Amino acid sequence: MQRVLTPAWWLADGGRRVGAIALVAGIVIAGPLLDGAGESFWMMALTRALILGVLAVATNVAWGVTGIFTLGQAVFFGVGAYVVGLLATREDVVALESLAGAALGAGLLCGLVVGAFLFFGRRRVGMLYVGLVTLALSYALERLASVWGEIGAGNGITGIPLPTLLGTEIEPGISFFWVAVVTLLVVLGLAWAVMRSQFGMVMRAIRDDDERAEFLGYRRPIVQLVVFAATGGVGALAGGLYALEEGFVSPTFLGVSLSTQVLIYVLLGGRDSLVGPLVGVLLLEVGGQRVQEELPTEWPIIVGAVLLLVILFLPNGLTQLGRRRRRAAAPRPETAAEVSGGDPRGE
Amino acid sequence: MAILEASEIVKRFGPVTALSGAGLQVEPTTIHGLIGPNGSGKSTLLHVIAGRTLPDGGRVVLDGADITRAKPAQRARAGMSIKFQLARVYHEQTVADNLLLALQVRDGIPSLVLSRTRRRHQERVRRLLDDFGLTHVRDHPAGELAHGEQQWLEIAMAMATEPKLLLLDEPTGGMNRHERERTGELIRAAATTCAVVIVEHDLDFIRDLCDRITVLHQGTLVASGTPVEIERDERVAEVYLTRV
Ligand SMILES: Nc1ncnc2c1ncn2[C@@H]1O[C@H](COP(=O)(O)OP(=O)(O)OP(=O)(O)O)[C@@H](O)[C@H]1O
Ligand SMILES: [Mg+2]
Repeated sequence: MQRVLTPAWWLADGGRRVGAIALVAGIVIAGPLLDGAGESFWMMALTRALILGVLAVATNVAWGVTGIFTLGQAVFFGVGAYVVGLLATREDVVALESLAGAALGAGLLCGLVVGAFLFFGRRRVGMLYVGLVTLALSYALERLASVWGEIGAGNGITGIPLPTLLGTEIEPGISFFWVAVVTLLVVLGLAWAVMRSQFGMVMRAIRDDDERAEFLGYRRPIVQLVVFAATGGVGALAGGLYALEEGFVSPTFLGVSLSTQVLIYVLLGGRDSLVGPLVGVLLLEVGGQRVQEELPTEWPIIVGAVLLLVILFLPNGLTQLGRRRRRAAAPRPETAAEVSGGDPRGE
Repeated sequence: MAILEASEIVKRFGPVTALSGAGLQVEPTTIHGLIGPNGSGKSTLLHVIAGRTLPDGGRVVLDGADITRAKPAQRARAGMSIKFQLARVYHEQTVADNLLLALQVRDGIPSLVLSRTRRRHQERVRRLLDDFGLTHVRDHPAGELAHGEQQWLEIAMAMATEPKLLLLDEPTGGMNRHERERTGELIRAAATTCAVVIVEHDLDFIRDLCDRITVLHQGTLVASGTPVEIERDERVAEVYLTRV
């Protein structure tokens, strides 16, 4: 604890720590400021972005930290949204606690089922395999939801009321912003703890060389399953909150477009960075809000171009800007080993 | 009883037969050299033993248990460790964390999430760093290490969990004479508690270090015996030593 009070701790890592704390503090202050200034449009945009931020942070833990290349993270988001939408409109469940719990549970369950299929029973689990299966799932579920009459088909579910929290009704306006902020802070806190834990080391080991990890004795499928299910649960929680905030659910919540959008947030902000995904979400969803409205057709092109520039010049995302360049280009051992091992006659 | 018995191993890669009936028998706490010309199947045999590839025929028995088709993680947990021909350490993680990764492998996920065992392993990390002369770089990313140091780090990782069997594929590749000697000492120290299989091209190094030597040629076993027996063996001389 004492170290936290020294300037060195704050300035470590090229100011990224200060930047991250400032960002989070800025978000917390921005809500009431916007509300006070009567800017409820921007406050709601921020709220939406924060909920998408929860999804992005979870996706980053799965993909950026653990290397599970999921192209279908919207599946969890959509499942959470539908579960909440159906419970709220058909079963008259109004307690946020119950709705959030149901979304989380549904996401966990989905993660376990899909993850078991993805990670077990194969000796090698390639990036492409995981990407394609999750992408196909996202596509298929969006199609399914848009023709399935029981859950509203193409219209989705509408008229979802605002929930109650601990028995009291949540008012429209700033209240839901606080729900989003608290959820985001809790998720960020958990992600932070996990990323710097001993388990975080294992996650990165599996991302960087899963075969090596297996030869050390790590059971890769179990680690991947745990991460996939946990981040799926959080993704579903985000979807559930989004449904409550918007008051409706649409099949697009499950779809490929949202799935790729989440990857863009993560790429833009920085993989394996705690607040990076949040930076990505805020830039595109709040910063780009006006542009998005003025130039709806050009918007995807602009996003694509920005993304391309980031990938080319800042492969670790925008948050890399503050990162010290500590990873020296170490000589790959191949050459040395091959040269010396290449001659059977020894010396 | 032998700690490792690999027998009649057959392994084909498409049209190439890398191993055709090769075998290896290793006694506890011995250092066993595996030699042979380039492409004779040494690495492939090691990979079959470690579970990196499954053989098309034959059996691998570790300490009495048939592990021919076991997954790599199962073998590691049963007491087998491997250092690959090309050093494979985690470049972005620190040297100390690489060792911790190797040490904490049997800890449950909940205690890893809560970082409950970091302290418990600290003493062992410190000793390994000390033994392998890596203390001065403990907090550096492993990718910054010199090539020889990376090899040592990987050997240290392989030895961290006190395995029954340590497989080393060219542990001195790319090392200078002094580093080789140091590596020899480290391997000898390791062999007081476990059996070591070591693939090497440097025959002087092997002769001095090993209790037994097995010679492969074109995927078959040519001879197996003490260094003296191997030096006298005519078949070995034919396929291998004549080329010196
Ligand atoms: N994955 C693979 N795919 C195809 N062929 C392979 C593969 N691995 C090995 N081989 C072939 O199998 C044979 C044995 O290779 P191996 O690497 O086991 O030899 P080695 O004795 O370790 O040689 P070196 O001394 O060069 O390391 C070689 O002919 C090699 O080309
Ligand atoms: Mg080899």
